[in-house]
Amino acid sequence: MRKSFQAWNIILVAIFVILFFAVLYPILYIFKASFVNPETGAFSLKSYATFLHYPYYLRCLRNSLFVSTLSTLLALAIGIPFAFFLSRYKIPGKNLIRTLGTLPLILPAFIGAEAWLILLGRNGLFAKAFRGLDMEIPSIYGWKGIVLVFTLQFFPFVFLMVSAALNAIDRSLEEAATNLGAGRLRVFFTVTLPVVTPAILSGALVVFYLCIENFGVPVLIGEDFRVLSVQAYNEFISELGGNPSMAGALSMILLAITLGLTIFQKYWVERKNYTMTSLNPLEVKRLRPLPTFLIWLFCAGVVFVALFPFAVVMVSSITKTQGPVMYFGQFSLENFIRAFTIAPRPIFNSFFLATTATLTGIVFGIVVSYLLVRKRGAVSYLLDILVMLPLAIAGTVQGIALAATYNKGIIVLTGTWMILVLAYFIRKAPYSIKTTSSLLQQIDPSIEEASINLGVPPVRSFIRVVLPIMMPGIIAGAIIMWVTTLAELSTTIVLYYGPWATMTVEIFQRIGSGDFGPASAYATILIISVLIPLFILNRVSGKDLASSL
Amino acid sequence: MRVELTNITKLFGPLRAVDDVSLTIGEGDFFTLLGPSGCGKTTLLRTIAGFYNPDAGEIRFGDRLINHIPAHRRETGMVFQNYALFPHLSVFDNIAYGLRARKIPKPEIAERIARIIKIVQMEGLERRAPSKLSGGQQQRVALARALVISPQILLMDEPLSNLDAKLRVSMREEIRRIQKELGITTIYVTHDQEEAMAVSDRIAILNRGRLEQVGAPAEIYYRPESRFAAEFMGSSNIIEMAVTGWDEDHSRIAAETAGQTFSLRGEKPSGARITLSVRPEWIRVVAGSRDGEANILPGTVLSSTFLGSMIRYRVSGPGGKPVVIEVHDPDEGSIRKDGETLWYQLPPDRPLVIRG
Repeated sequence: MRKSFQAWNIILVAIFVILFFAVLYPILYIFKASFVNPETGAFSLKSYATFLHYPYYLRCLRNSLFVSTLSTLLALAIGIPFAFFLSRYKIPGKNLIRTLGTLPLILPAFIGAEAWLILLGRNGLFAKAFRGLDMEIPSIYGWKGIVLVFTLQFFPFVFLMVSAALNAIDRSLEEAATNLGAGRLRVFFTVTLPVVTPAILSGALVVFYLCIENFGVPVLIGEDFRVLSVQAYNEFISELGGNPSMAGALSMILLAITLGLTIFQKYWVERKNYTMTSLNPLEVKRLRPLPTFLIWLFCAGVVFVALFPFAVVMVSSITKTQGPVMYFGQFSLENFIRAFTIAPRPIFNSFFLATTATLTGIVFGIVVSYLLVRKRGAVSYLLDILVMLPLAIAGTVQGIALAATYNKGIIVLTGTWMILVLAYFIRKAPYSIKTTSSLLQQIDPSIEEASINLGVPPVRSFIRVVLPIMMPGIIAGAIIMWVTTLAELSTTIVLYYGPWATMTVEIFQRIGSGDFGPASAYATILIISVLIPLFILNRVSGKDLASSL
Repeated sequence: MRVELTNITKLFGPLRAVDDVSLTIGEGDFFTLLGPSGCGKTTLLRTIAGFYNPDAGEIRFGDRLINHIPAHRRETGMVFQNYALFPHLSVFDNIAYGLRARKIPKPEIAERIARIIKIVQMEGLERRAPSKLSGGQQQRVALARALVISPQILLMDEPLSNLDAKLRVSMREEIRRIQKELGITTIYVTHDQEEAMAVSDRIAILNRGRLEQVGAPAEIYYRPESRFAAEFMGSSNIIEMAVTGWDEDHSRIAAETAGQTFSLRGEKPSGARITLSVRPEWIRVVAGSRDGEANILPGTVLSSTFLGSMIRYRVSGPGGKPVVIEVHDPDEGSIRKDGETLWYQLPPDRPLVIRG
């Protein structure tokens, strides 16, 4: 026992060292940079003063808050009824609607943005059609487009959380209210809604976080409508040499918001959750044909509109294109041929980086989960906070922090593929840790002790007994890590350099230059690469992966 | 294998989970650690298994000091409270687990498993997954898995607590049968005194980490050495009295409480006060006060519970504290109603005084 205890202590120290250098130190580094005058190197509040003084910067903050708030409200407006209808009423094709309804969660939002540009952009399909009719169509550029994409992309979070809460309500709760003389509407507003309110709030916070953190959508579709994440990136990347202090200040402001949201979520909202062991779930009601049809129309309509963009991209990929001009109806494989023959490197890069990061993340995830679940105490509490911290950091901010920190000095990582792997693994490992540790929690420690008692030393007992039982969680976590890494843009765009451009970078740049055909081809490869593992896992384990995100 | 514990102490922070416990468990004994939850019995068992290192004291298996031998090399077979069957392995593979860890050749594994499966009566279920077994069957697999490695000592941590009442009774008989058949030294943890009495050769009663009493079940029942032991092993009326005299020739104590005098069998009291433990079935209901007979006193029936073969009265006792009396095979006509007066006698010739 004593020997294995020491082994775990060494591992613990190693993990803290990794987390310190990969997560904490870079953040502290740009925190410090934000207080330094880049010209003189002295302590200075100049960047923050500039931020507060120039309306240009303040507008970025206002814009970020505005699109995030509006998108969150709209996501609630769609997600809540969507969840409610699906869990309370009989609707034809319910399972399909439910599955498709969660898909936008794993499909990259900036590809959705691309689709809307193809449809409603300046050279888009509808724009041309309408121009012929001499009619104005509402512009997709600016905040409207951002809000549209955000809403359609992120409402499933509200849907998932609210339906989980609705399904956890015991039937007797509503029956008790009815028995006490409450009518249907009264029951809904005095019992059902208050009970699911924490879930609604959780969903809203998650959506708000995803919106304010997002980089790809506003940068592609926002044009002059600048948001914080985009501005931080611009300050950092600027061809005029960049301003690390200003980029740092903007990153810190963004970090303060995302961190605040996460802390609020963790310590206030989660505590308010009502846990009920649901014995008899609520009755699923059958409505008359007309209301059933209307509800079906709403749900199916939402799913259709949310997934339509991805269909557009896939169709575009096999359509003859010339720059931004698409000849819909004219089939061509040229985009794919070009992607595979002339520029296959990004495909290789994406797969290589995602796989490397995932493999590292699996090992890391197993070890950290074990420490979190089995070696409880103050140290594991600290470990929990540190390891989950990247979930509260915007991708752009993480990228800027890493790039700035390891740009010079003893360890130079900026400009290597290793820094990408490091960033991916540190940002995605929390998913693996979540799925693995929740499974480990269900494994009684006596299982391990039984193995030790039967003569197998501790570490081997862990490998022989605990690991196989944890395997479903490990696989699920690995797949989530892999697909989300593959679809990662905001960190990659800061950290990649020339030869290590990934598919997402390639898509992003092609869209930027109006090269929609090849962009769609890469996007289609990406979509298929994301969907296949999820589909297989769903078939094999019946696990709803979207719920683990 | 004999097990010897010397001054074992185990601390959890400031808590003395096991406090200076010394015990000797004889070869082939069925030895039970009995006590309420939190008394340290499981901690002591896990210390013997090697999952905890004692903060002080020595553990010996036979003559061999095993304090520093890691858990996986102690050659103990353990049955866990929740069985701890490996959910990803079949019944066969669960049982084979320890044998494979010992690199025992395949044919011998098959042979030994076949034998143990017969002993625990699980024939034909070798390919089942643990989740497809009933509670009692899981229990048998856990037992087989612990026994098949031919351990020197069998450790059982509340193995029956997850079973329903009926199965508990039949399983404990089964466990006792198998233990006798194999003659294996067994250390058994339970909080259920009836279970402990039913299976054990000897029992150790633990309270707050300390040993209260060690002895055969009857020994503890008839001659408890502490109030705690008396109350934990079966139910008992605890009555305190002041000593008024001591008759050395007849080994009798004269005592008094609430104006009533008593004559009791016992050794010379060490102090001015004594504590009596009187089992409810030892108290005799009598017709009334009779000359020449000691320890007869009246009480008012406070409540009664009729259980067919037995009636249990709660009667006001000396000093007002209720006394519980059990009358076995009562006559229908003799049953008293609440509020009636009932004369009863504390046995004059049984040792009632708690020593120590």
